[in-house]
Formats: sequence, C-alpha cells, structure tokens
Amino acid sequence: MTVDFPALTLILVFPALGVLFNLFVGYRAGRGAVSFVGPGVMFAAFAVASVAFYQILVMAPGGALTYTIWGWIEAGKFQTSIGLRVDALSAVMVMIVTGVGALIHLYSVGYMAHDEDFARYFTYLNLFALSMLILVLADNMLLMFVGWEGVGLCSYLLIAFWYTNPEFAYNGRKAFIVTRIGDAGFLLGMFTLVWALSQHGAWSLDFLTLKTHASDIAACTLLGTTAATVAGLLLFLGATGKSAQLPLYVWLPDAMVGPTPVSALIHAATMVTAGVYMIARLNFLFVLAPAALMVVATIGALTAIFAATIALVQPDIKKVLAYSTISQLGYMFLAVGSASFAAGIFHLMTHAFFKGLLFLCAGSVIHALEGEQDMNKMGALRTKLPITFWTMLVATLAISAVPPFSGYFSKDLILEAAYESGHTGLWILGVLTAGLTSFYMFRLIFMTFFGDSRVDHEKEAHLHESPPSMAIPLIALAFLATVGGWVGLPEGLAWGDAFARFLAPVVGDFKPVVVGNPAMLSLVATSLGGIGIIVAYLCYIRLPGLPVILAWRLKGAHQFLLHKWYIDELYNFFVTRPLFWFSNTILDRGIDHFAIDGAVNGAGLTVETTGEAVRRVESGNVQHYAFVYLLGVLGVVAYYIYLVVH
Amino acid sequence: MINFSQINLVWLPVLPLAVIAIAAMVVLLVGVRVDDEESEGLGWLALATIAIALVLALGIFGQSGIAFAGALAIDSFSAFFELSILITAALTVLMSLDYAGEHRLPGAEYYSLLLFSVLGMMLMAAASDLIVIFIGLETMSIAVYVLAGLLRRDPRSNEAAIKYFLLGAFSTGFLLYGIALIYGATGTIKLVAIHAALTERLLSNPLLLLGLGLMMIGFGFKVAAVPFHMWTPDVYEGAPTPITAFMAVGVKLAAFAGFLRVFMVQLGPASASWTDVMWAIAALTMTAGNVLAIVQSNIKRMLAYSAIAHAGYILVALTAGGPQAGAAILYYLLGYAFTNLGAFAAVVALERRGAAGDEIADYRGLATRQPLMAAAMAIFLLSLTGIPPLVGFVGKFYLFNAAVHRGFVGLAVIGVLNSAASAYYYLSVTVAMYMMEGGLAEETRRSRPGLVAAIAIALIGTVLIGIYPEPYFTAAGNAYQSAMSPEEVHATTAMAP
Amino acid sequence: MLTALIFLPLLGALLIMMQSDERTVWNSAFVFSLVPLGLSFYMLWQFKVGEPGYQFVEQDPWIPSLGISYHLGVDGISLFLVILTTLLIAISLLYSGGGDIEKRAREFCFFLLVLETGLLGALLAVDLFLFYVFWEVMLIPMYFLIGIWGHGERVYAALKFVLFTMVGSLLMLVAILYLVFSARQHLEHITFDLPMLYQVPLSTTEARWLFAAFALAFAIKVPMWPVHTWLPDAHTNAPTAGSVILASIMLKMGTYGFLRFAIPLFPEVAVEAIPLFMALAVIGIVYGALVAMIQPDLKRLVAYSSVSHLGFVMLGIFAFNIQGIDGAVYQMLNHGISTGGLFLLVGMIYLRRHTREISEFGGLWKRVPIYAGIFMVVMLSSIGLPGLNGFVGEFLIMLGTFLRLKLAAVFAVIGVILGALYMLWMYERVLFGPITKAVNETIADLNGREIASMVPLIALMLLMGFFPRPLINRIEPSAASLLERVKVAEARLDEQRHHPALAAIAPGALAIGNLKIAVTK
Repeated sequence: MTVDFPALTLILVFPALGVLFNLFVGYRAGRGAVSFVGPGVMFAAFAVASVAFYQILVMAPGGALTYTIWGWIEAGKFQTSIGLRVDALSAVMVMIVTGVGALIHLYSVGYMAHDEDFARYFTYLNLFALSMLILVLADNMLLMFVGWEGVGLCSYLLIAFWYTNPEFAYNGRKAFIVTRIGDAGFLLGMFTLVWALSQHGAWSLDFLTLKTHASDIAACTLLGTTAATVAGLLLFLGATGKSAQLPLYVWLPDAMVGPTPVSALIHAATMVTAGVYMIARLNFLFVLAPAALMVVATIGALTAIFAATIALVQPDIKKVLAYSTISQLGYMFLAVGSASFAAGIFHLMTHAFFKGLLFLCAGSVIHALEGEQDMNKMGALRTKLPITFWTMLVATLAISAVPPFSGYFSKDLILEAAYESGHTGLWILGVLTAGLTSFYMFRLIFMTFFGDSRVDHEKEAHLHESPPSMAIPLIALAFLATVGGWVGLPEGLAWGDAFARFLAPVVGDFKPVVVGNPAMLSLVATSLGGIGIIVAYLCYIRLPGLPVILAWRLKGAHQFLLHKWYIDELYNFFVTRPLFWFSNTILDRGIDHFAIDGAVNGAGLTVETTGEAVRRVESGNVQHYAFVYLLGVLGVVAYYIYLVVH
Repeated sequence: MINFSQINLVWLPVLPLAVIAIAAMVVLLVGVRVDDEESEGLGWLALATIAIALVLALGIFGQSGIAFAGALAIDSFSAFFELSILITAALTVLMSLDYAGEHRLPGAEYYSLLLFSVLGMMLMAAASDLIVIFIGLETMSIAVYVLAGLLRRDPRSNEAAIKYFLLGAFSTGFLLYGIALIYGATGTIKLVAIHAALTERLLSNPLLLLGLGLMMIGFGFKVAAVPFHMWTPDVYEGAPTPITAFMAVGVKLAAFAGFLRVFMVQLGPASASWTDVMWAIAALTMTAGNVLAIVQSNIKRMLAYSAIAHAGYILVALTAGGPQAGAAILYYLLGYAFTNLGAFAAVVALERRGAAGDEIADYRGLATRQPLMAAAMAIFLLSLTGIPPLVGFVGKFYLFNAAVHRGFVGLAVIGVLNSAASAYYYLSVTVAMYMMEGGLAEETRRSRPGLVAAIAIALIGTVLIGIYPEPYFTAAGNAYQSAMSPEEVHATTAMAP
Repeated sequence: MLTALIFLPLLGALLIMMQSDERTVWNSAFVFSLVPLGLSFYMLWQFKVGEPGYQFVEQDPWIPSLGISYHLGVDGISLFLVILTTLLIAISLLYSGGGDIEKRAREFCFFLLVLETGLLGALLAVDLFLFYVFWEVMLIPMYFLIGIWGHGERVYAALKFVLFTMVGSLLMLVAILYLVFSARQHLEHITFDLPMLYQVPLSTTEARWLFAAFALAFAIKVPMWPVHTWLPDAHTNAPTAGSVILASIMLKMGTYGFLRFAIPLFPEVAVEAIPLFMALAVIGIVYGALVAMIQPDLKRLVAYSSVSHLGFVMLGIFAFNIQGIDGAVYQMLNHGISTGGLFLLVGMIYLRRHTREISEFGGLWKRVPIYAGIFMVVMLSSIGLPGLNGFVGEFLIMLGTFLRLKLAAVFAVIGVILGALYMLWMYERVLFGPITKAVNETIADLNGREIASMVPLIALMLLMGFFPRPLINRIEPSAASLLERVKVAEARLDEQRHHPALAAIAPGALAIGNLKIAVTK
C-alpha cells in the first residue's frame, strides 16, 4: 500500500534552500548566518525524514510513501519522471543521510571556523546532502543517477576545496574521473535494462516496473547470458567506482586531502555506500543473476582483505581510516553478494555511525594538532583530548566487532551470511580481515593516544579539546555507535533481528544454502578480532621497538604495503601515460596535422605550383603564343581527321 | 516610343546599326578640332547616340523575320545581344569620360573607334549569314586592335596592340577558311540554308567537319578559349583599362553571339561531331583560366584569366546545347556584362596615371580608406565567385543546371570544382582590401561622375538581376527560341520546362 | 512572419551602416538583434504542439520557369534552432560591445546581422534553391568576421573555412540539380520544392551518388571526422563572437542538413549508410576528446570538444529511432548553449590576458570567483552532468544508439568519460592551484555586461536539464514523421534482402510512405 506524500519534497527543498542561501548571500551574510543555515536545513530535513520514517513504521509491511513531482525525460515510449519514493529501505537511508549529515554539518561549523571560504564550504556540503537525498529518494534509476553523479561532483568540489594546493585539485579530479568510469558502467547497465524491457513493451526505469518485469529481463539473452546478469555486472561496475572497490578504489585514499568532516560524511558515512544501496535497491534483479552476485561477493571479500593489509602500515591517521573504509565497504558487498541485503544495509548503517565517528575524532585530533596527520608525531593524547579519546575508543571497539558494540552485530551477520550462502572461501577472507581490522584500528588508538608524546613542542603548548559544536556530534555518534547495532540482535534474543524483518518487504529474506552454527561462527570471528587487539597491544604498548624491527626485517613486504601494492604506479604506467602519448603523437600530430591537413594543403599547393609552372609559358613572346595556338589547331584538326577516318 | 509597324520591316534591324555608324563618323569629324583633354563632350555625344540605338533595339524584341535577302536576322536573339552590347558600350563610355582626358587619349579616334567596334559587334549579333558574321567580326576586331594600342606613350599598350593584331589575323584566317570549307560542303553561306542542308549523308562530310573545327578555332580565339587564349593577359594588361573592360565583355558578347548562332542554332543537328571537342575545350578553359588566375599578382591580369575561366563556364552550356543552355548563356552574358564592367570600373577608379595601382597589393586597407568603393568591388568579386544571391551565382546556376539536364554531369562537376578554386583568388582581393593594412593611398582627384555612375549602374544590375532573375531569364529564353527555325522551336518546346 | 524574422536583421544591418558613433552602433545593433529574438519567441508561443508538418508556411513563386518558389516554414526540428540563433546573436552583440571588438564596430555589427539573416534563412527555407542561397550567404559574413577581427593566422583560417565549405556545398549544388532533373522526368514538372522532391523515385545508384554529395557538404559543416580540420583553425583565430556563432549555430547547419535534406531525400541510402556514419561518429567522439585533451590552447581545446560533441549528435541521428533523433536535436541545442558559453568565457579571459595558452593561467579562482563559478556550471553542462541540459541529450542519444547498435553506445560512453577528463583537467589548470604568474594577480572579475551575457545561458542549462518535456513535445512529432520515411525505407530494404522478387513493388511502398507524410502534413 502506497500513500501520496507531497511532504517528501521538503526533504529536498531544505538543503536546496541552504545551497541557494550560501551561494548567493552566504558571503555577505557572514559566518553567523551561514553556520546557522548550513546545519539548520539539515536538521529540518531530518525532522521531515523522521516523520516519513514514522509513517513507514506504522504502515503495514511493504508500505511506501511516494510523490511524483513532474514528468522528466519522455521520448517516444520511453518515460521517466522526477518522482520520490520512501519505503523501508530508503527510509533507513534517508534517516542515516539526514541524521549523520546533520551532525557532521554541525561539527563542520567548529572545524571550519577559521576557514575563509566558510560559505563556499557549506554551499558544497548542502549541495552534497541534496544530491545524496535525490539518490536515496529517487523512484527510478535515472533520477537516482542524477544524485549518483551529483554526489560525485560534490565529492570532487570538496576534495579540491583547498584548490590552491595543486595536489588536492588533482586528487579531486582523480576522484571524479575514476568514479565516472564506474558511472559509464551504470549508464550501460541502464541501457541494457531499457533494451530488455523494451522487448516486453515496458519503456521505463522505475524501480516498480523493473521489479514487475524482473523475470522478463532475466529472460532476455545478451552476450550469451541473461540481460539480468549483464546489467547486474555493469551496474556493479558503477558501484565499484562509487564505493571504492577493486579495481576502482584508487581515488578514495587520495580523497582524504579534503576537510576531515567531508571525509567523514562523504567518504565514510554516505556517498561511498551508494553502491551498496543501489544493489540492495535492485535486489530483485540480482537474485535472478547469481553469476553477478558471485562476482559482487568475491570482489567485496577481496577488497576487504586487500585494503586491510594496506591499512596495517600506513602512518597517516586518515589514510588508515580511508583503507579501513574500503575494507568495510568490501564487507557490505560481501553481504549483498551473498544475497543477504539486509545485512549489507545493516552494516552500512552501523558503519555510518562508527566510521563517521572515527573520522570526526581523527578530525578533532588533527584540529588540535593544527593539521598534523602523521601518527608518528602523536601519542599520549589520552589525557589532553579526553572526549575525543573516549568516543574514538568506542568507535574502535565497534569497528573491531567487540560485543555489544554495533559493529559486532552487523559484521557477525555478514560473515554468517557469507558462510551460509556457501562461500566458505570468502568467509575465511572475511574472518581474517576481522583480525587485521582490529589490529590496525588499535594500532591507531595506541599510536595516537598512548605511549609517550611525539608531538612538536610548540604545538604541544596549546593543545586543546575541541569546541562543543564539535564535541556534541562526537558524543551523539558514540552513543549510536554503541547501541546502533541492537536493532538487529541474533534470532531468539529479545526482539531478534527486527532490522531484517523491517527491510524484508523490500529486500526479501536471506535464504541460507548451507546451515552453519551462528554461535560457532561468531566465536571464531570475535576471537580473531581479539587476537588482533592483543597483537596490536604487544607491538605498540609492550614492545614499542617491535614494529620497527619487523618493518626492517620484512623490508620487502613492508615497502610493498606502504606503497599500496604499487597500484597507482601501475595505472599511471599502463593507462595514463600511453593515453597521452597516443593522443599527442598519433592523433594530433600524426593524423590531424600530418595526414589530413597535409593532404588538404598539398592539394592547394599542387594547384599553385602547376599555376607557376604553366605561367612560364606566358613568356610574353608572341612566337610562343602562336606555337601553343597551333598546337591547339593541330589537336582539333587531328581529331576531325580521326573522326573522318572512322 | 516609336511605332515600328509603320516602318518597313526591312529597314528595322538596320536602324540601330545605322545610328551607331553615323554617330561614329560624326564623332570622328567633330573630334578633329577637339583637344585631347576636353574629349569629354565627344563622350557625351557617343553616349547619346548609344542611348538612341538602345531604344531602337528594344523595338526589335518580339519581331521576327529576315532582312537583306537573309543577310540579317530580325529576332529577339539579335535584339537581346544588341541591347547587351549597347549597355556595355554605354558603361565603357561612362568610364572613359574622365579617363580619356586624364590619359590624353585622342578623343575623336577613341570614341569613333569604340562606336565602330560596337557596330561590328551588333552586326555579328544580327548576322544570319557567314559572310556578314565575318564582316562584323573584322569591323569589331580592327577597331579594337587600335583601341588596345591607343596609350601611345605606354609601351605595354603598343605591345598589346601588336600581339592582339598578329594572333587576331592568325585566327581570322582560320575562321575564313572554315567558312570556305563549309560553303564548299553545303554550297551556301546562309545559316538557315546550311541548317536545312545538314542531312545524314552530309554530317560525315570531311569538308564540313574540318570547316566546323576551323570556325570553332576562330571563335575560340575571340572568346579567349584555351589554348587560343595566350594573348588575353598581355593585351588586357596593356590596353587602356576601359578598353580592357570593353574587350572582356563586348568582344565576348559579340563572339558568343556568332558562336551560338552558328553552332548551337544552325549546326545543332551536327552537334554530335563537335560536342566532344567543345567538351575538352570547355574543361581546359575553365581549369587553365582558374589555375593561372590564382598565381597572378596584377589585378588586370587576374581579371583577364578570370574572363577566360568564365568563357569556360559558358562553353560548358554550349557543349550541353539545347534551349535551356541557350537561354542560360544569354542570361549569363548579360549578368557577366554588368559584373565584369563593374569590376573593371572599380579598377579604373583606383588606378593612378599610367598603370600604377594595378597590383593587388595596392588594394591593401582600401576598406578603411574608401569603404564604399571597397564594398562595390567586393560585391563584384563575390558575384564573379558565384555567391548568391548575386547575378554571378544565378548565371552559373543556370549554366550548370542546363549541363546537368543534358546529362553533362561530369562537366558540371569540373565546373563547380573550378568555381570553388576561383573563390581563392577573388577572395584574396577582398583579403587585401579588408584584412590588411597599408597599401598606397589613392591620389585625390576631382570627382568623376561618369565613373561613379558606371559603377552604380553595374552594381544595381549585379544585385537586381540576381535577386529577381525571372523576367531576364524568360527574355533570354524567348530570344534563344526566336533564333531557331520554326520546326526546331516546335521540337524543343516539347521538352522545355 | 518568417520573412520578417529573416530580413529584419538585414534591415537592421543596413540601418546600422548609417550610424557613425561607436556607442550608438553597439546599442542599436543590440536592439536590432532583440527584435528577431522577440519575434522568434512569439513564434514559439504560436507554435502548435503535436503537428509534424511545417507551420507559418509562406509560399510565393520566385523563379517559376524553374519551379523555384520562395517557400518558408518551420517545424519541430528547426523551431528551437531558430530561437537559439536569435538568442546567441543577441548575446554575441551584447558581449562584443564590451570591448572584445576594438576596431570597425559598425562593419562588425553589420556582418553579424547579415550572418543572422543567412542562418535564419537556411533554417527556414523549404525550397532547395532558397536553402542553397542562404547556405552560401552564411559563408561570407563569417569569412569577414574571422578575417578582419580574428587573431593570429586569421586570413589563412578564413580562407580555409570558405574553401573547405565551398567544395562540399558546390558538389551538393550539382546533386541538387541532378535531383531536380530526375524530378522533372518523373513528376512531369520541374520543381525545387522539398516536399515535392521527397516523391522522386531514384535508382539505387543515383540515390547513392546524390546522398554522397549531400552528405559530404553537411559532414564538412558538422564537422565529422576526418573533414574536421578546418574547425580548430577557424575557431582559434576567430573573434569570440565568431567562434560562438560558428560553434553554436553554423555547425548545427550540418546536422540539420542531414535531418532535413540528406536523410529524408534518400532514406534507403541513409539506412544503408548507418554502419559507416556510426563508425565515423564514434571515431569523432573519441578522437575529438583525446585530441582536445592534449591541446595547449583553450580555444583549440573547446574546438576539438565540439568535434566530439557533434559526433554524439550524428550518432543519435543515425540511430534512426525516436530516442536517438529527439536526443540529437536536443543535443544540438545543448551544444549550442554550452559551447557558446565556453567560447564566451574563453573570450573573456583572453580579453584580460591576451593569451589563450592554458599554461599562462592557474589559480585564477582566487581572483575571479564569479568567473570560476559560471565556468564550472558551463563546463558541467558541457560534460553532460545529470540535472543539466547536456545530460538529457546525451542520455537519449546513447539510449537510442544502444537500441540500434550496442557497440557504438559503448564507445559513446567512453567518450563521456574522456569528456569529463579533458574538461576538468583544463578547468583545474586554469582556475585551481596557486597563482604562478604575477600578471594573473591583478586580473579583474567579470563585469555586469559579461555576467548579463552569461546568465541566459546558465538559466537555459538548468531549465533544459529539468524540464525537457516542453521542448521534446515540440520536437518529437517532426522527428517521428522523419522516422516514418526511414522506417518505410528500412522495410523496403528488408524486402529486397529477404525476397528480392518483391523488390519490384518496392517503389509502391515508398510512394505509400510519401503518402503517409503527405497525410501527416
């Protein structure tokens, strides 16, 4: 049962107003106004969102709020509109986006307080929120794509926010281009769907239409497989770009040069999870394309462990968190790839809480250290930044899946799903990753807050805890990071897995292939996590020399990880450079100037040279003229003689 | 307007000719006592008589018949040509009014010779008999030879006269021989009779064929078709510029009048035996003309080659044949007269004493110094390039249209490619005028109303006849039809549009 | 009314020649450009939605003896191109008055307005002869604009531009003549009227040759690879207004020619030629993008980006389905707006620094935030960011292409990626990073006039991004009736392929197709 709910537009209108205000009057209005409007619109949107959420809660399962604003692109039979739809899935997402978003907006007020481009920052941030909400609320893929690229744009703008630094600008562009490669897949995926649907007379990209015709899509064959599989894979390519999975993850670590709240909001909590949301949204399609699902799960698991290994050795606090994000996103894809979409979304939510929090804490540390990000220049901040320390510790426990923190429940569900859907190999990867995760996270905690201080002295002098505008979001998120997981308890315990039940009407139930023992599985994972923590403790508290020795002993491996498997170098060598060489030498100089223009100008030149040559005959000498004349006469006469003879 | 019905039809065609002839002599007599600097009066006299002749010639339109035992044809065809020729003459005189004085040309000789050549031209236009054609041609040519050399102090002028004369004599010989051979083959010099005599058997007669060829050469020389064109640039460059204009337009008009009447109209049935040669000559003429024009630096030489090229375009239609082609040629010549005269008039206006200012380089920055003059010149050049809606374009359009409709697509393609190439050198003059600085400033001299009038008239013609071509085209069409013997008219009107 | 629309600019041009004072020249020229603008909007207002045929038709005999008539009309395909023309001419005049043109203002305005007459005429002519006349008339003013007010190799560029186009269009002229000739044979009367000529049955060989001639002429204008090399030179050396008009409208004349003439006149050949043209279009897309990427000169970069974008348009046209053609027409407008805007922006920066070398800039954002912001929007529209106009066109085109030939769509998508690549990179090098050159420290931000000339474009980008329906509603019927012809042709070709025996009755099928058109008109 769906209800027409015009108020949904408000969720978009508020951020939009924020954008307009900050863009046009922000500079004149001054910081006060901006710092009120910027977060204000987000809280307003959050309020509307929670109303909508409540509506969904009270509705019968499978209910939805919809509102079509106006018809959009319509050509021939193809129809698509600018329409919004809130069901259980998008309700959760919209709550996360507006809620966490609002908190981070608030945090930014403090964090960016001293930046001259305050208004521009909030313009971008509101614009991002707007795009993200479009992405989440869209009732058809095309409108979703608007948000999809919109968030990409904002990510680009915000990474390059401090544009005077050429490296930052470059990273911003890198992010945009790499994700756009994924978007190309998204586009082709959409085309495949329209093509498949058009075979059955349905010309639309509405999620409902797609759902009703899912079987038709699966029926169409394309490239020797089903259209569903092809579309699924193409769309997943889009997801790998936006959600930083192998092989397109390369932009995310570099994206960390943006302001830290941006990293928290865009590159941890919301945007990067768009891929997961999209697949969950199209679950009906993917369940009909097992091959595609298999790929999703595999890529997810591989990314998870791959990124985790890199995170082990990074000295930069934000880089660690970045790779950790990639790794966690890998988990989510492992979940949806195992057809346990609820688990994926569940982890998406908890991750939004604790990873957002982690970044904000890192931000608060960096803020306190006036921009220092190298953990080798930190330590012993426990006492100096109490709030930051405690909240970050909570987040770390959550991500390390220590019960009863939120991360434990979601990660547990994922690994269970991975095992029970029969991907034992992937399950092992997942478990190992869990161990690595807790190691590098506690490595971060220990290096930052424990041991003896390695902070430069002049900075040491005026270390200070963050202002309330930054502290409040920390505490709020810490709370969520703790209790956020309790909505999805193991079956039979209290209210059980309420979260999955809530989503079930949209994403369906998880159907195990092999039966595993949840308790056993959970024990294995948790214990590995514990081991990780202990190792970290040994390395960084008990025997501080050990890491150095290890790094020196296993130099090769250490360097290999430190340089992130040299992936960037590979891309640069095999893609970027050849492309430029080809364009420059072959196309521009070779074909354009040499071949084509050469031919054209050559033609002109021949005319001119022949002209010059013939001109010589124009000697001005009558005898010559008469001679040529006679030649002509002979020619004519000869012709007629010939004519007469024949 | 005079009511011609009262006049005996026999005398009608002669009236314009007579007026011109008499005028020529009068001018000569009166001119004896006139000083070279004050020759302007003679000019006005000539102009007046030309005007009268013009009116009389108008009367011939729509009439038809033959006079003087078939020596002269009375038809719209001759009328059309006589009008075009007289307009040319008028414009030439207008340009000369001041020029003659400034260059101290002997006024009496100048204007009377001009009128004499006009007489010859009109004779050619009206002739319906090979001998009369020859007489007309000679009257015209000899006068023009002298005119070309009239700048006595300028060696180039003298040289031009000599060259023109030598080669001219050359081709006159061929023409005459051709006439003789045809007479031998058909036993008549009356065009209509020749036409009637062209039976199947005769078409393969070597005498006839050879005669055709030689006449073709004779006319080819006069219209400056390749390879009989070599004289053109030198003569055009050396001759007094108004005379150059007169040659480039008037002589062409007359020569094509003869060419058309003899070949397309009367020898039409024999077309099979001359189309191929004409095809080759047309292609050669267009191409050579344009290619050589590209490399010229002197505007008069450039225009000379352009004139050759344009003869080539006309020959395309002549090759194609058919009433459409005929009409197209008449229309084209009319438009070409205005455009080309205009261009030369502009050259005259920008010339300094002698021949200075004839280099294209001298036109640099003209647009800033004399915007109006530059604009006029630009329009004439664009018309020559064939840019719509100017007459040059419409004319070419008709020509190629005729060619294509007769199935000569290949020739048409060569034609358009040529006119694309021609854009290069015509535009390079506008480049000099509009896109470059410097160039020498024109000397300030007293206003020259005649010249200005000439340019203005040419301009109006170039634009007007282009934008609204219908009446002129129908006139041309009727004119051509009228030259054809009745049964042929009947035969062709069937497939005429 | 269309007559007024076409010739009012000419009238304005003549009146301007009587002005003497610089200021009044600029102002009056701008006013004169507003008149047709208003008129074209009135036309839009009066335009009947859902009618495939020509509207506001005017037909009077002109050269009856050759069946040439003064026949004007506007339909969904030309409607918005007309408005785009009037709008951009007005903007160009507004902008150029701000110091971009420092010499011979009077002649400049004169040529620009004459150019407008030519462009509008070519868009509104329904008679082949009339069309050809205007088609050639366009060349001359543009030639002067480039040659007189251009920079660097202006004369070379101007001549190259004219000669390149002339060769093509003169061959087209012969084709027109031949077409009319066969029309005369089959229809018993000679005519240059387009709808009439649709009915001419041609042998396959004839049709192929004629199509080739038309296609060459139009392909040069588009410009399609490999006949595109005149474009970078013309653009680089043209004055700003010249580049704007050249890119925004003149190039469209090529694609418009395909839609209006080449395809409906010879539908079978067009269908046969799908693989060829899709291939060329795709090459153009990728090639243009790659070459644009490495250009050191802003204008050259934008010029090559046009090659890429027009490739999309051609792709959409030859998809021969409603999505493709709607998209193509829409993309013509988009490209006109976004590339026009880009050239204006380049002009503004050139005006300040008298160089277009990308390496001369960098870090400008600090000094010119407004410029940077506007530039950002225009760039995003040009790379087809969803929500802006560019996306609607590109999406429909690629969708149509995918439905016709999947592989082509794949390459097109690659083009989209590259598009983002070179544009963002250029933007980054010009506006991001630290200010490296001292001269850029003192550079001034946009003034009111410049902003005013950009605002309409920005507004259109947003509007057309979110409200494409009003446009597509008007475009689609005409596009559909064009497809009607193509479909018939396709059917006929299939007939021939499958049962050659039936090919004999094929002309009948074509006739029926024509009948359909006649009915829909």
